[in-house]
Amino acid sequence: MSKVIIIGAGPAGLSAAITIAENGLDVLVLDEYMIAGGRLLGQLYEEPNGNWWNGIKESQKLYEKAVELGVKIYLNTPVSNIEKIDDTWVIYTNTETYTTSHLLLATGAAEAPLPIPGWTLPGVMSVGAAQVMTNVHRVKPGYHGVIIGVNVLSSAIAMELKLAGIGVECIALPKMNKVTKESGNPMDVMNSLLHVSHMAPSTFVKLGSKLMKNEFMKKLGISFFPKSGVKMWDIPIMLRKAVIEIYGDGKVEGVKVATISPTGEVIAGTEEKIGADFVCIAGGLYPLAELAAVAGCPFYHIEELGGYIPLHNERMETTLDGLYVAGNITGIEGAKVAISQGITAGLSIIHNYGLSNQEAAIQAAIHHIEQTRKEAFIQFHPAVKEGKQKLKQHWENHRNSKKLEILS
Amino acid sequence: MEKEMIICRCEEITYGKLVETANTYNCTSRELKLRTRAGMGYCGGRTCRNMVDSIAYSSSERISTEITLKYQPPIRPISFGDLGAVER
Amino acid sequence: MTRRIINHPVLDKIDETNVISFTFNNTELRGLKNESLAAALLANGIRTLRVHEESGTPRGIYCNIGHCFECRVTVDGQQGVRACLTPLKEGINVSSGETFLTSVRDWRSENE
Repeated sequence: MSKVIIIGAGPAGLSAAITIAENGLDVLVLDEYMIAGGRLLGQLYEEPNGNWWNGIKESQKLYEKAVELGVKIYLNTPVSNIEKIDDTWVIYTNTETYTTSHLLLATGAAEAPLPIPGWTLPGVMSVGAAQVMTNVHRVKPGYHGVIIGVNVLSSAIAMELKLAGIGVECIALPKMNKVTKESGNPMDVMNSLLHVSHMAPSTFVKLGSKLMKNEFMKKLGISFFPKSGVKMWDIPIMLRKAVIEIYGDGKVEGVKVATISPTGEVIAGTEEKIGADFVCIAGGLYPLAELAAVAGCPFYHIEELGGYIPLHNERMETTLDGLYVAGNITGIEGAKVAISQGITAGLSIIHNYGLSNQEAAIQAAIHHIEQTRKEAFIQFHPAVKEGKQKLKQHWENHRNSKKLEILS
Repeated sequence: MEKEMIICRCEEITYGKLVETANTYNCTSRELKLRTRAGMGYCGGRTCRNMVDSIAYSSSERISTEITLKYQPPIRPISFGDLGAVER
Repeated sequence: MTRRIINHPVLDKIDETNVISFTFNNTELRGLKNESLAAALLANGIRTLRVHEESGTPRGIYCNIGHCFECRVTVDGQQGVRACLTPLKEGINVSSGETFLTSVRDWRSENE
């Protein structure tokens, strides 16, 4: 029996493992991927101070520090189920079954697709898949591709593809339907882009800040948005063109795009073909909380956090004894926030284990999460803070209802 | 074209089938899944669950206090040979 | 292996010396030891990893991190192995799945 088990060797899981091991408890980390680092592995961007945030290096640092402290990290180990038997958490993997009293779920996020006719063709992949292939495995997903979905993740990865010498023909919207909704509506996309305008060079920023002013200007802006797109890192960003089909015989050969109205309706007769040997689909991320669900955590759907969130407090404790969460399972944010959440979860575990009082450290760590969130370079959702506030309210309500149950 | 577009890749369930079923039965996403098999394939619905939810909740109110499409263990396929005894 | 990104303006140069061989659908291929099987196949220009068991439509990697199971192949007789999560080893035999021998008719009422 390990003192503490962590599922997920990404930034949150590894930081928690380091924090716990530094305080003398032995830790086992399980991850189904072949390399430690999770989604941090693929990340690569230049920070405002000119330094490069290199996900591979950051992952290595965390991994090596954890191993140095004696943390056991089992990779290639998928967890298929967890359950609580008496006071013990039982973790089932494809090889062994492990038990612990304190279990941290740091399983990260999964990508949500945007359906496009032809998207099952070989050569169509999620934008995260192209990122991992390019930066981690160093194999080109193709020579020239098209990215569908205009958002923070897709624009960041488009730049990474360019950096590796891979051609990106354009980033365009998906055709609007009951699934793609806002992702297919130029006005909505424009609104969400305004919050990330600091990421883009000159033209886009200027365009963005001008359009910020009022709804009328935004409408005007999207109406006059050049049909050929606005270039960012030399890649045309097309807010007035939607991909209506991915075509190819047995594999991707290109996409068909059409001009769309400011509200997303396809304008007949405007279809044209763009050749490509790969296509990336960027529908955003959602918290991967399946293990928290099978364990029996209560869940709330919070749009600002990216989907269904297992109920937890600022100390990263769930409502279930001995079960903790950290990282993107608690809402979609950057790796730095995940790291600070991992540290907080680690401190909570040490505190609850009864080895030493960590109250002051926990409060400082919680404050640090908020600080990191405020300073985050990449914001996945402009209203993350409000989302966290909603979650806090749900936690209070849950606690109050529990108190009432005890009283009655 | 859009009608034939696949939503659930594992079971090859189309957008047309899902929208038609949602409209006919005005159902929750759980019922939509059970009626069409969308989300019941090899991957356990990890890829299409958000899309199935979106189609269901374009006509009815989303329930935000519980997960609409339940997760069922095992969440990764395992062979019977790998089901070992508990090691303490 | 023109698809590999050996030199990168920011990331370190990769070590491409540890070349090993393996087979995919009985064709001998080369890849780098311990890279993912999906990466090794793509570096060889192979995009189709399997066909949909019922319809026979070709499929390749989609999520590349183990969530979607689209890249599942058979490795040394073991079925359902995710190519994106499998480190490449010398001499492994990989094959893509086939369609089911007996297809299932669509049994929904309107087709009866």
